[in-house]
Amino acid sequence: MNKQISIAAANSSDSPPDAAPFFIRGMLVEGADDIHRSRDLGVSFATPKLDLNALVRPRTELPPLLNVPLAEIIDFLAEAGEQLGRKSNVHVDACIEHMAKVSLQPRTAVEYMVKSAAEYLDPKSLREVVEQNFPNPEALDGWVPHTDHQGRRSFIRAYPPRLIHVLPGNAPGQGIRSIAQSALVKAVNVFKMASADPFSTVAFLRTMADIDPEHPVVKSMSAVYWPGGAEQVERVLYRPQYFDKLVAWGGGDAITNVMKYIGPGFQLISFDPKTSISMVGKEAFASDEAMAEAATLNAADVAMANQEACVCSRFTFIEATPEQADRYCQILAQQIRIDRMGEGAPRPLEMDLREQIETLRLLDDDFAVFGELDGRGIAIRSDEPVDFHPLRKTSNVVCVPSLEAAFKHVNVATQTVGVYPFERMTDLRDYLASCGAQRVVRLGEAGPSAIGNPHDAMYPLHRFVHWMANEDGCEDPR
Amino acid sequence: MPLLLPHTAYKSYPESFLTGKRWDRLTKWLGTVSTQPTDNISVEGVEDVDSWIRACEAAGHYVSCTSGTTGKPAMLPAAKADLEFAAQEGVEAVQWGSGIRVGDDRTLISFGAIAQSPRNAATGMALVGAFADFAKLAAPGDGPSITVGSITRMIELRKTIGDGTARPEEIAEFERESAVRQEALDATLEKAVDRIIAHRGDKLLIMAMWGPLYQLAEAVRGRGYSAKDFSPENATFLGGGLKRAKVPENYREIIFETFNLSPRFTYQMYGMQETQTSMPRCNEGGRYHIPAWMVCLPLDKEGDNLLPCGPGPVVGRAAFFDLSIKGRWGGVISGDRIEVDFGPCACGSPSPSIRDDITRYADLDGDDKIACSGTVDAYVRGLT
Repeated sequence: MNKQISIAAANSSDSPPDAAPFFIRGMLVEGADDIHRSRDLGVSFATPKLDLNALVRPRTELPPLLNVPLAEIIDFLAEAGEQLGRKSNVHVDACIEHMAKVSLQPRTAVEYMVKSAAEYLDPKSLREVVEQNFPNPEALDGWVPHTDHQGRRSFIRAYPPRLIHVLPGNAPGQGIRSIAQSALVKAVNVFKMASADPFSTVAFLRTMADIDPEHPVVKSMSAVYWPGGAEQVERVLYRPQYFDKLVAWGGGDAITNVMKYIGPGFQLISFDPKTSISMVGKEAFASDEAMAEAATLNAADVAMANQEACVCSRFTFIEATPEQADRYCQILAQQIRIDRMGEGAPRPLEMDLREQIETLRLLDDDFAVFGELDGRGIAIRSDEPVDFHPLRKTSNVVCVPSLEAAFKHVNVATQTVGVYPFERMTDLRDYLASCGAQRVVRLGEAGPSAIGNPHDAMYPLHRFVHWMANEDGCEDPR
Repeated sequence: MPLLLPHTAYKSYPESFLTGKRWDRLTKWLGTVSTQPTDNISVEGVEDVDSWIRACEAAGHYVSCTSGTTGKPAMLPAAKADLEFAAQEGVEAVQWGSGIRVGDDRTLISFGAIAQSPRNAATGMALVGAFADFAKLAAPGDGPSITVGSITRMIELRKTIGDGTARPEEIAEFERESAVRQEALDATLEKAVDRIIAHRGDKLLIMAMWGPLYQLAEAVRGRGYSAKDFSPENATFLGGGLKRAKVPENYREIIFETFNLSPRFTYQMYGMQETQTSMPRCNEGGRYHIPAWMVCLPLDKEGDNLLPCGPGPVVGRAAFFDLSIKGRWGGVISGDRIEVDFGPCACGSPSPSIRDDITRYADLDGDDKIACSGTVDAYVRGLT
């Protein structure tokens, strides 16, 4: 548990901070009036002065996208997707350079996430997202007539909302998804970017503005930065007169701070901070091949996106004796440690985490540790979940007498549960849902997700819109 | 060469050892942070953590726990010699860093919850013995104390709320207990105010942290008393930083003006639970001085590399090797950012010294973190 101390030169970087311009309804706003520090790696970036007036339009002004047909919006998004997916896109390339400095993830992972986000803009997928979220997508384009069984007539509209989005810092692709989802519901938007990624959302919007700076999609979007929790901004802006809903990704103080502004007319749609897990049945020990298969699939769920995302597995509950689990952990650790993202030498593990794991190695009656503390990955076998949050490609494999005995470790913070063998999903899913989990998948498939499926136990687009009813009396007044 | 432990080493035991009452395991863990083998500790008959600590003590291991509110408490083993050294050194440091002297016979005013631990008991007794008027000691039981047992119960409840197994009545019971505790805490403020006013003609020694001391000053002012009612020889012993207490910017002035305090009789020190040596603040230079047996090793922010130390100040993560400690390893990496200067101070002392602007890295980093991954801790309300 002791540490190596070596003499090294102080790491002083005198390079000027990277520019993080804003995007306000189609216009790029540049400037270096304020210098901020990124949360995780402490890298500086410069933004223009925040003009609060520019972020809000009066409610007497109709949303720019109101009368643009959904089909046209999808065409525009698809074209933007093509531009983003091109081998070289000046805005995106610059953004990847900047992000590689502020992100906790390796450059290749950032590049992959940014580029693959463009796939979300595939027109077939966008249509499917809408169809999954709305029983009748016509309501997005016009007033849909409906008559109830008593003969009372209505016209229902999924009316464009005014949204303020608090974007996460750990998923560079989320900006593009949020832009697309907001465009699909024709929303008027402000995106508050995270200090760990004050670049990607603006880069996507600039790509769109290059296609048509006057397009109503572009005119509906603003992306800016302020430090999360800054009262002088949030007290002013977070009001129902300006916005209908606050769409928040993740947890931490950024969300805790938001809670005090939530009230009548200003709702919170929150994608909560989540932990994902794996469940491996005794079938994995039927043969060496089965064990290798399960451990390899498990490793894919642990290591994706450097274990930064909510879908990444952090705990594996396994029907095994400690001896069996140790054999499993050996393969799991090996597989996690494969450098699939070309990361090269990883950042060293944080001191606290290193210390906790080193201690478990010393307590060898109850724990076994596989892999090294070099940031490439580690698997820890125990009989109770460890009490730290497994990070940086760390998997905690917990022995349980049966998968059912692991239900007590499934809770409201559990998002995805990867199951092996796959056929046991049907027996587990009712209990998993009851305990609070939101998604059950085949082990190894936590990453890909079906298009338009519920996220965090809701259909988000359906919740975004301002459901408006125009009642028009009875067909046959008595 | 391996030299330093992170301060978190002293809370690196799995929480389940504590909540699951696995005393043999906890004892084994203690052995990993102690210089003495712990296999002489008998855990027979140990029922809770307070009695485990007594069992450790019976075998010559004096375990002090820090008083985190809901987080895992750190457990710092010490030898008997450490407690004796800390007691003696504490008294010397007060005299080095202020005009307070042994035999002053001051009326002692202490306020704020204090964690019960062998170390706090030893140093507290020594300070009382050196500076206080025995005839005017407060009745025992006046101050609220925090035992590691009560912290453990809080950790257990937090865990059961998180996993959904806490029954509503358990939470309701906890809320009732908290309310009672808060009332008791409020009552101690009133008692301390009464006591300080009753003894306002005496030469006082006020021992508190900045936050509670500010509360006390406000309450005393509220009752209409101020500097003119108090002795100009009043002294204060201030430990620690603000610890996130909410106070106005001029809190120091308010405190000093209320109790008629002067720099001469103000003792301030920098220290940490993981080491045992006090670093007293000098008046002339306003800096914390590092005694000869305490080696300061400023590291980079990550705590991985020693910073080059030439002439002039160095800013970095504080790490120390306290050569006086016998019962545990003396080298520790703290969570603090300090500016240390190995040259002489304006006060004339040649010892290395630390500027009076110590901050915790955790506070510096701020709270602008937002990510979709997270734990059930974010879903537990009301236990912070």
